[in-house]
Amino acid sequence: MSDQTLVKEICPTTTQEWIKNGALLVDVRENDEVETLSFDVSKIMHIPLSEFAERFQEVPKDVPLVMVCRSGARSLRAAGYLMNQGYENVVNMQHGIIRWVQKGFPTKGDTQSVLPTQSNGSCCTPSSGESSSCC
Amino acid sequence: MKEIKILGTGCSKCNVTYQNALEAVKRSGIEANVSKIDDIMQLMELNVLVTPVLMIDGQQLIKGRVADINEIVELLKK
Repeated sequence: MSDQTLVKEICPTTTQEWIKNGALLVDVRENDEVETLSFDVSKIMHIPLSEFAERFQEVPKDVPLVMVCRSGARSLRAAGYLMNQGYENVVNMQHGIIRWVQKGFPTKGDTQSVLPTQSNGSCCTPSSGESSSCC
Repeated sequence: MKEIKILGTGCSKCNVTYQNALEAVKRSGIEANVSKIDDIMQLMELNVLVTPVLMIDGQQLIKGRVADINEIVELLKK
């Protein structure tokens, strides 16, 4: 517990690279959320956060893992949990499926469910000359 | 003195649980210190997955739901 490692976070664009390199997405949203809208990627598994403590052993240890959820908050906790359980190659995807959809990455289902309005600014809004933010 | 900690990310359920804990301490008459932990790094250190969590003297007793006042009073009496 005392040697807690900070969880590395990556954006959805960088996640595409991780996927190309064989990473597995682990979606920790609840069942109803996944039924409404899911990530359309080949390597993905779904363990709701509410079942995660009982089922985390289903997550393989020998592949890079990208933890995902709606906004990136729940998956961050799940990533930390896995690291506390000895998983090493784990990152969290910041901003979750919300940003994933905003970026136009592939999904199945109703994207409107995570896009109530598009008017909000974000931490990755290009501003002040920040060139080509990865987000 | 008992140590009650409410672990959560500042959501409304976490805040209700915190208020319930304060009220439970008042009703039970048991000396206890109530605090909130909402720092994500601390939550991860404590292996918190679902919130809120009611922790009494280091033990996570109720996870993922609001603990009601009577329930907390009973746990304090144990």
